[in-house]
Amino acid sequence: MNIFSIQLFLAVILAAQAGPSERQRVDNAAADRGKLVYTQYCINCHGSTAKGTDRGPDLIRSAIVLRDRLGNGIRPAFGKGADHQATLTDEQLVDLSHFLHQRIESTASNRNARGTLNVVTGNAEAGRVYFNGAGKCSTCHSPTGDLAGIATRVSPPVNLQQRFLFPALTRGGPNPVEVTVSVAGVKPISGTLVRIDTFFVSLRDASGEYQTIRRGSDVKVEVRDPLAVHHELLDQYTDADMHNILAYLETLK
Amino acid sequence: MRSLRNASLVMLLSLSLYAQGTLDNAILLRPTADSWPMHNGDYSGRRFSSLSRLNAGNVNSMTLAWVHRANAGGGQAGGGGNPAFPIKSTPVVVNGVLYVTIPDHVWAIDARTGSEIWHSTWRSRGGWHISNRGVAILGDTVYVETPDCSLVALNIRDGREKWRREICDLEQFYYASTAPLIVKNHVIVGVSGDDLDIPGYLEARDPESGDLQWRWYTYPEPGSAESKTWPNEEAMKHGGGMTWGASTYDPDLNLLYFGTGNPQPVINGRKRQGDNLFTESIVAVNPDTGKMVWYFQPSPHDTHDWDANQTPVLFEGEINGQPRKLLAQASRNGWFFVLDRTNGKNIVTSEYVKTNWTKGLDAKGQPIPDSAKEPQIDGALVSPNQGGGANWPPPSFSPSTGLFYTQATRAFSVYYLYENENDEKPQGWGGNDRGGWSEAMLRAIDYKTGKIKWSHPWDGSSNVRSGLLTTAGNLLFAGDASANFVAFNATTGETLWHSRLHASVTNAPITYELDGVPYVVVGAGDSLYAFALTAR
Repeated sequence: MNIFSIQLFLAVILAAQAGPSERQRVDNAAADRGKLVYTQYCINCHGSTAKGTDRGPDLIRSAIVLRDRLGNGIRPAFGKGADHQATLTDEQLVDLSHFLHQRIESTASNRNARGTLNVVTGNAEAGRVYFNGAGKCSTCHSPTGDLAGIATRVSPPVNLQQRFLFPALTRGGPNPVEVTVSVAGVKPISGTLVRIDTFFVSLRDASGEYQTIRRGSDVKVEVRDPLAVHHELLDQYTDADMHNILAYLETLK
Repeated sequence: MRSLRNASLVMLLSLSLYAQGTLDNAILLRPTADSWPMHNGDYSGRRFSSLSRLNAGNVNSMTLAWVHRANAGGGQAGGGGNPAFPIKSTPVVVNGVLYVTIPDHVWAIDARTGSEIWHSTWRSRGGWHISNRGVAILGDTVYVETPDCSLVALNIRDGREKWRREICDLEQFYYASTAPLIVKNHVIVGVSGDDLDIPGYLEARDPESGDLQWRWYTYPEPGSAESKTWPNEEAMKHGGGMTWGASTYDPDLNLLYFGTGNPQPVINGRKRQGDNLFTESIVAVNPDTGKMVWYFQPSPHDTHDWDANQTPVLFEGEINGQPRKLLAQASRNGWFFVLDRTNGKNIVTSEYVKTNWTKGLDAKGQPIPDSAKEPQIDGALVSPNQGGGANWPPPSFSPSTGLFYTQATRAFSVYYLYENENDEKPQGWGGNDRGGWSEAMLRAIDYKTGKIKWSHPWDGSSNVRSGLLTTAGNLLFAGDASANFVAFNATTGETLWHSRLHASVTNAPITYELDGVPYVVVGAGDSLYAFALTAR
């Protein structure tokens, strides 16, 4: 086994979500060196992001690069044609390969956020007015009470944006979903909702006892979700409201 | 080395009693009561069975007949795939044998008893193992796609490989998950993948050899009027539009119908201004030539990953007193469309769940996207979310009730555009949605008006991944997210029967009748459940 094949063996990875299972595992240190190679020999034609220019094709979408493993695909491109007169060493080719595959992997996974999302763009005063007015947020919340320091406790801001739009209840927390089940002629049963579907409703009553009741046309089920008003707001918020509220909440450090 | 391995050779030796006969095209055109011979049951995509022995009056007597656990063995080391992968495929039933899949695995199962006959395993080279929708059968061959881009032909009697053909390029991040469809002497196959910017296409392959007959790319001819819906040819030819949904077919019109997926880059559409044809489209092609006859676009310039791959369901209807050949789709974007399937002209467009992303309809009946609801760096609150109002689980149409049935999700999320990916040439996704709140329901739609005839809220379920089945017995079968498998009165939406399974339904139910016994089979997690009216 020669050095190249050993490297290739070490580079294989098991199946990722997409692409072949024997995709090249990127060596970041080699990719850093490869970036210097790219800057010296490739960037003028293929561009600063390797996405191509008028003088050279896109290397992220290149079938040659996608099939390349540790330089075996891109090696033939060098030394041929007027635009590829540079002669690279084996080490430089491997480094360049790692850099290009790093760019590909980055692109293929860019559904995932990298870095901070700049979501604080609203008007804090308009958000305060909405909070105390149309949104009726002040009915349940207070900037000096439950929301005091909320921007410090919930960060980065995108998490706070998500929190006020789509709040979730904490299991066993102070504000559970309550349910009352009524059957004609029988004393209604109330408690904390455990589970509900089309056929059964399960609750834990004030004594802590777990009960499941079969649903039917003679069974009335009343669910009281403390977050229901938040769900209704989703139909009312404009995007400007959303941004303004966040800007206001971000003042509550 | 890849190979198909038979995991049941010992069992295979004793299979002489099983009559795994062949399937010819006549049954595909007129499915028999004892079969479910293709992905959708028949070419129409209605998932409606003419069986009525099991009906609204006696379904409450239906009991469990058998359970089959799809034991895939050792996962990747054993040949690929996740050994506990949920069954998302619709089984195919031919000659008393049921064929079901998960990625890299095909099982032949006795449709009367649930006993395994054979199990074929594919040693994978990779690809996204998100799902496999099932097999197609013609003659003595079972056809299946694999995540690593192969179309594989298996011998129907023992599951041994006949041949394999590469139908997409794994290196470009394509993968394959679609259930093939047999149309005359064509095996119709679709492809998947939207991590990099690659074009979608649909292919026809020769049933005997697997050789390519035609390929239809989901982008227009350069220079055509439709090509002007892209800013340039490079964007167009890297613009996505995958074909992972189920195709339907009208033998009289000799037209093949299918939906296409999202454009690429998926979320960042700022450098692909225009409608981006033929992504997010319902398309009719001639299955003999691969030539497009018409298209209709449910989501022009999509930036929310709302693939229009939901089944284009074919049925005969009446509009303004006139008989019409119709096609309907409950699209992922929350809108319901009824088209004249001879020409693609729009008849009905309506919301089947409330949405917030449009500015109205254009003259063709297509929603006009509101640019303010495209993904933004600071976020845009959008409904539905990326999962959509509906997704891959198949809908159903009953000619008995005249109602179109679909699972429906009312959902919100925030779509973000990633600033560091927002350069002069966005690629990949460049953003995503996040978070959200949703509620799920089952809806019956009057195809003539688009109005909701009845709606069943799935209490306690925020999202449901069960397909649907209707029958001439006025039954509608569906699952919820609480592991209930439910029979409804298809006319009224009244619940008639249910059974609680070990997991929520993960595929679409089917029905067939053997020895005078009607069976209903559904997948939940790694298991198939068969219910029967009289399991004597």
